[in-house]
Amino acid sequence: MVVRAGIVRVFIGAVIVGAIVALGAVWYVRGPDPLAFTGGKSVALADYKDGDPTGVPTSMRQASLLERGRYLTEAADCGVCHTAPGGKEYAGGFAFKMPFGTMYSTNITPDKETGIGKYTDQEFLDAMHRGIRRDGARLYPAMPYTSYAYITDADALAIKAYLFSLASVRAVPPENTLMFPFNQRWAMAFWSLVFNRDTRFRPDPSQSLKWNRGAYLAEALAHCGECHTPRNIGFALNNREKFAGAPVGGWRAFNISPDKATGLGGWSDEDIASYLSLGHAPGHGTASGAMGEAVDHSFSKMTQADIEAMVAFVRSVPPSTTPDFALRSAPAPASHKDGVAANLLGKKIFEGACASCHGWTGESAVSPFATLTGSAAINDPSATNVAQIVIGGTRRLTPARALSMPSFGHVLSDDEIAAVSNYVTARFGAKGSSLTARDVANMRAQVSD
Amino acid sequence: MATTLTINGQERSFDAPPEMPLLWVLRDILGLTGTKFGCGMAQCGACTVHVDGKPVRSCVLPVGNLQSRTITTIEGIGATPVGAGVQKAWLDLEVVQCGYCQSGQIMSAAALLASTPDPDDSDIDAAMAGNICRCGTYVRIRAAIKQAAATQKS
Repeated sequence: MVVRAGIVRVFIGAVIVGAIVALGAVWYVRGPDPLAFTGGKSVALADYKDGDPTGVPTSMRQASLLERGRYLTEAADCGVCHTAPGGKEYAGGFAFKMPFGTMYSTNITPDKETGIGKYTDQEFLDAMHRGIRRDGARLYPAMPYTSYAYITDADALAIKAYLFSLASVRAVPPENTLMFPFNQRWAMAFWSLVFNRDTRFRPDPSQSLKWNRGAYLAEALAHCGECHTPRNIGFALNNREKFAGAPVGGWRAFNISPDKATGLGGWSDEDIASYLSLGHAPGHGTASGAMGEAVDHSFSKMTQADIEAMVAFVRSVPPSTTPDFALRSAPAPASHKDGVAANLLGKKIFEGACASCHGWTGESAVSPFATLTGSAAINDPSATNVAQIVIGGTRRLTPARALSMPSFGHVLSDDEIAAVSNYVTARFGAKGSSLTARDVANMRAQVSD
Repeated sequence: MATTLTINGQERSFDAPPEMPLLWVLRDILGLTGTKFGCGMAQCGACTVHVDGKPVRSCVLPVGNLQSRTITTIEGIGATPVGAGVQKAWLDLEVVQCGYCQSGQIMSAAALLASTPDPDDSDIDAAMAGNICRCGTYVRIRAAIKQAAATQKS
């Protein structure tokens, strides 16, 4: 009996220890909150005395609900994900291609059958803050509700009012093609339990109103971290490496932490502000891919004061270093004979298709928007974004007709795209890439079309 | 917006939106139709002009980016010694077939010879690969560039 009681005690002890270890592991993976880096001081919004960092800019406080809702909807960049390429705005169907299947965004026009027309205010808040659909099913965190959880009820309902003012579109997105176990929506309840704090934005009383405004814009609405912060083993944001850069949808979101060598540490405030509102900063390249869309549909619509607030906030996060990344800001030699010697195929493509705009030095004679020198993409030794831009081309909408590069995905083979990407990263960047045709094929497969 | 540019040695003033490509200013506003529209996306070279002596595709060059720079087009290139030499070589070797791309070819060749008076084949490739010729006059273009270089030297 004594022996048996001992075994039971050992067993119970093991279960307790196991549970503690498991909880500890979950707690560790969950990691710090997005704003924990400040030291964790925060107060309820009502207790913050320096002004209201939420809502629309002060200059728009008197605007109608719809105008305010529109500003917030654009600041939250809802339209980019909820619009399929070439499809009707906000009608959904945009594909998120992942290794374990494809998900499609939903129709958020006010259509009663296929959109969100039947959502009550509370149901809308449940979706925005808790990732719960009107029918009670769980949303996947491709919908950034862990970020949107910071949005105040008033702002979320202003967004709802704006969405409800749009034309109803009858459209049903394609069915998701996720493989098991990712197709088990109910499991997202556990994911949310661990990873969704479901708390509204709490200002930091030790910081200025400008910083808090920037924090609200960047964290709650613009959800910068959803692309720029690496993900942990549970596919949630790993805020230990906040804004350190991450792969996203076949592209690379670069390090936007203030690290001097590999982040934004070498950018002036004006550079970052210009990049956000115009998609370009002199000597730092031009936004393409998802960042280009964020500029066109979201940042370019925001007030200068709001842009500056986000700059102040982004500057305040702890620096993270991107390994294997170095920045070269000097132009390449003027003669085609100097610089890169190997890679004749890459050179041949460059001289025929690229040199007339980008030049042999990388400094474009056509437009500063086409200058390669100094951009993160050209210095990225994975050449991810370079290859994607070659495949799909790029276009800046702001300012009007600022830049357009045709797509070469249909005229160049994967081998040729790899060769020209390797040539330009070696010629104009700090370190050349070594892409293969297979890498390029993988990149093509990850892009929504 | 009123803009003034020096084109082929003359000051020319015109009204054009800043995002209008230089090509349309040259052709439609100033009547300099020697510069041709080809692809409209800097992939064929037919619209090549010189900006401060460097070859640039005018079809994608917003006129607002130019400010006070100096433009040379096919109408003016013969006034430069290098340009005159290129044009003579082009005539001597009867380079042209249909001729549509040749304004751009001559502008690119003249810019090449101005910066590289004695180009080898790889220099010609690097400077001329972006100028496409539907008639396939590439062999004569290469020979004419070499002849112009040789004449220029002597």
